[in-house]
Amino acid sequence: MSDARTVQPGDRTLAYLTLVPSAALLILLSAVPTVTVFATAMQDVGLGALSGPWVGFENFIWALNNGAFWTALWNTFVWVFGSVAVEMVLGLGIALLLHQSFAMRGIARAILLAPYLVPTIVAVLVWRYMFHDIVGILNFFLMDIGVIDRPLQWLSSTSWAMVSVIIVGVWKFFPFVVLALLGILQSIPQEQYEAAKIDGASAFQQFWRITLPYVMPVFILTALLRTIWTFHKFEIIYLLTGGGPLDATTTLPILVYQKGFVDFELGRAAAIAILTFVILAALIAVYFLLMRRAESKQ
Amino acid sequence: MAQVEIRRISKTFVGHTAVSDIDLVVNDGEFLVLLGPSGCGKSTLLRMIAGLELPTLGDIVIGGKVATRLQPKDRNVAMVFQNYALYPHLTIYDNIAFPLRVQRVEKSKIDQKVRWAANLVGIESLLKRKPRQTSGGERQRTALARSLVRDPQLFLLDEPLSNLDAKLRHSSREELRRFQDRVGVTSIYVTHDQVEAMGLGDRIVVMKAGKVRQVGTPKEIYGYPADTFVATFIGSPPMNLVETGPVTVGFRPELFLPRASFEPGAELMEAPLRIRRIEYLGGDRLIYGTVSSSLPETEVISRIPSSIPFDGAEGEEVAFAVLTEEVRRFDSETGLAITAPNTLVRRAGHV
Repeated sequence: MSDARTVQPGDRTLAYLTLVPSAALLILLSAVPTVTVFATAMQDVGLGALSGPWVGFENFIWALNNGAFWTALWNTFVWVFGSVAVEMVLGLGIALLLHQSFAMRGIARAILLAPYLVPTIVAVLVWRYMFHDIVGILNFFLMDIGVIDRPLQWLSSTSWAMVSVIIVGVWKFFPFVVLALLGILQSIPQEQYEAAKIDGASAFQQFWRITLPYVMPVFILTALLRTIWTFHKFEIIYLLTGGGPLDATTTLPILVYQKGFVDFELGRAAAIAILTFVILAALIAVYFLLMRRAESKQ
Repeated sequence: MAQVEIRRISKTFVGHTAVSDIDLVVNDGEFLVLLGPSGCGKSTLLRMIAGLELPTLGDIVIGGKVATRLQPKDRNVAMVFQNYALYPHLTIYDNIAFPLRVQRVEKSKIDQKVRWAANLVGIESLLKRKPRQTSGGERQRTALARSLVRDPQLFLLDEPLSNLDAKLRHSSREELRRFQDRVGVTSIYVTHDQVEAMGLGDRIVVMKAGKVRQVGTPKEIYGYPADTFVATFIGSPPMNLVETGPVTVGFRPELFLPRASFEPGAELMEAPLRIRRIEYLGGDRLIYGTVSSSLPETEVISRIPSSIPFDGAEGEEVAFAVLTEEVRRFDSETGLAITAPNTLVRRAGHV
């Protein structure tokens, strides 16, 4: 019998062989498209073609000198930080509520997590009905209780469209935040609170000095993860407003789509995609940095 | 410092009674140990004294004040938990300072108190570390220091040594006792470990199934167990019990020795022991065997210290005996001790 700890000559080969399928998948589905997009961004690709004359960084220069890019970048930031901020605050509040014990807590949890499980297209169709200027239940309800005196143009006014999109985004994704924070809340040992109670800590002091410090690392990581995911979210906005009215809800992913598949300027679309990629890469770098620091603290 | 009175306390959780009708007085400055197997209600009793559980019936009086319904923080008690319950995100210093910070004690006073407490338990050099950077014993001392800074009138300790390894547990036990002697605060200590209980307690409360079986000094509990449960729960190996009709006789293994080792003329209860197995443990030998003839055939154990010569072998029958005055008698039916040689024996319900 061989010693289990020693690596036999054949083991290494076998180990690499078992890696081949996943490595091949990664290369085919991730690396190849990424490199292709880089290459496309350097070419002038027009209608019906997949490649064109080499133009160097011209597409990037065009994008950075184009108002549409900056508007989309601004819209993206409003969309991302608007959504994530509300998601995090709402998520923390509801996680704290669900952490308390009360009758039918299990059912309450299941219901609250439902939006996360509803397919996006279903959710969007329902919300579009509710947002409808004339027959939508939202306007009906708000007018009924007297908050507004005439219908709001939820999706068709440039000033409300972004708010509406954020509302749906928050509704769809705050359960994820609840789930993450509830997990960490339930991992706090009960003894910590009991010790604090005996030592004279009030409910607020227990929250401030025990709950928050426990939750904070996960809170920050969740916020960053939500930022990254929200940044490249496409379907919710596209299905709700298509980026409009005008360019009111055109975020970077929407702009990439319009340039590529409406205007058929694939090279320029790729250049914008690469710029988006750079911003996201920076965010992801921060995420891993914080993650590593949190892990080393454990 | 305070006296604690437990008045007819009961605690019922849904469908089961954890503590049932307990009366107890803990004297000012006393170190009282609650001892019993797991699930006997000792921790529940401690938690009721701390204010973490509300009794179903009865009252708790701390320092002459009825505390039954007081919030934990208004009882001026300190508690050391089994897992220490240190705050992982705070340094040792901040952990010890916690009770003072939440009470908004001024900064210079906090610093002075923290250093005093840390010094008392010998962890001054660790103040800047986080709990995870310290050993089990250091965490336990930190928990102790944290419980000290508020000058509590009562210490509650819930199995504080059970997470330490055997060697550390031994030295910590000694430290803990010296520490309590120094600060002199009334202490209630919960454990399932009889050695801890015997070594630490001024008095021991033996509990089983939510009831008190016996209250007494370690000597009383060991020498005059109130019933067969206490007799076998305390002592390792446990007291030998031999049922002789309506009366069960009990004798400690270390007092049941070869007949030859007793002085001539001593008043003895004698019985031949057929040796089944001998365990050599260094300091003493454990003899497993069966008594017969004068007593009904029963498995018993004898513990012979190495100072007493013994050359019996497995399979042999050897004359053994125990001093008559060391034999305890119990009612075979109820298990309660029959003859109380003096008033030391206190039975459950007569505490």
